[in-house]
Amino acid sequence: MKAIVSLAVRLLVITVAVAAALAGVNAVTAERISAAEAEKVQQAIVSVLPGCTDIEQVEGAEFDLVTAIYSTSLGYAVQVEPQGFGGAITMVVGVGTDGCVTGVEIVSHSETAGLGAKAAASTGEGPGFRASFIGLSGEVTVSKDGGQADTLTSATITSRAVAEGVSAALATAAAMEEGAQ
Amino acid sequence: MNVKKMTLDGLLYQNPVLVQMLGLCSTLAITTSLFNGIGMGLSVTAILICSNVMISALRKFIPSSIRIASYIVIIAGFVTVVDLLLQAFLPTLSENLGVFIPLIVVNCIVLGRAEAFASKHGVLASALDGLTQGIGYTIALVLMCVVRELLGSGTFGGGILNGGEGIRILPEELGATLMIMPVGGFLTLGCLIAAAQWLMNRRKKEARE
Repeated sequence: MKAIVSLAVRLLVITVAVAAALAGVNAVTAERISAAEAEKVQQAIVSVLPGCTDIEQVEGAEFDLVTAIYSTSLGYAVQVEPQGFGGAITMVVGVGTDGCVTGVEIVSHSETAGLGAKAAASTGEGPGFRASFIGLSGEVTVSKDGGQADTLTSATITSRAVAEGVSAALATAAAMEEGAQ
Repeated sequence: MNVKKMTLDGLLYQNPVLVQMLGLCSTLAITTSLFNGIGMGLSVTAILICSNVMISALRKFIPSSIRIASYIVIIAGFVTVVDLLLQAFLPTLSENLGVFIPLIVVNCIVLGRAEAFASKHGVLASALDGLTQGIGYTIALVLMCVVRELLGSGTFGGGILNGGEGIRILPEELGATLMIMPVGGFLTLGCLIAAAQWLMNRRKKEARE
């Protein structure tokens, strides 16, 4: 009995000490981490809707795949999270007041390096792939499925996921627009 | 404490990846660009040193029947600290390494050294063991990265040099996607293990003659 209590107490001491240390580190880093994340989303919004002002998050609206909706002076920026090859792809889609895509930015993803990750890259196929969604509206599909958007070489699943996200964002913006009128 | 022997052990004779074959999951998964390799290697080295020192210092306090649970709690603590620090200060690296940073908790190298070395040796020796084993792991990762990146994407130093694009050595069309995929990791690792064995055998022969 005494031995068991001694074991439990020692494990408890270790656990409490580790938890206290983690709380300390978290207190130092939490602000920076959330600031870095918010900053990234802000940057993505500005890059999908260049020159937009009055960015405001829309509360209370829920749609499939959509995690956040921002209304701006130039249209909606919709944050969506479709499932890619390696997990959720967090991306921001700009939808102009005419209901067409103005830009696509990928904020974070866990796609395979060198394959699906090309979708988010700033070099190679990445920029052209993201730009191929600009001007599209309605239900968006990739060229491999007979659609108008590009398909990344050897990354069809990722390309389809991005198209799915863009479609969800377009549907959301259209619904928001209808609701506003 | 035999510093020279421990260093050689960590780098070659007892290299965690090439000889002990520990921590292969992260080795195969993240070694696609130099930046990832160095980042992962240094993260594991830092965690190894910290956890080795802490476990060595507490080796008389931790009863052997609950040692694994205690080690895991201590290691998980350090891993979470590194994870939070990376997210706050090196977000790009944290994004590239993704889930593999939290997975260091169950990386056999860290637990293996805790059990095999730190629980039986003094603080200083354990710190040195963490450092040499960590560097051995980093070197193995960097070698893997260099080979896979060169053959797979045709570049060197991806993520660090030349504004993050890496220096192009082979034209892009020559890059073999195969090398970036997991199968390329296995092929590269097999060749590296063979090379390490060859090097060790040669040194042994030389010592005999």
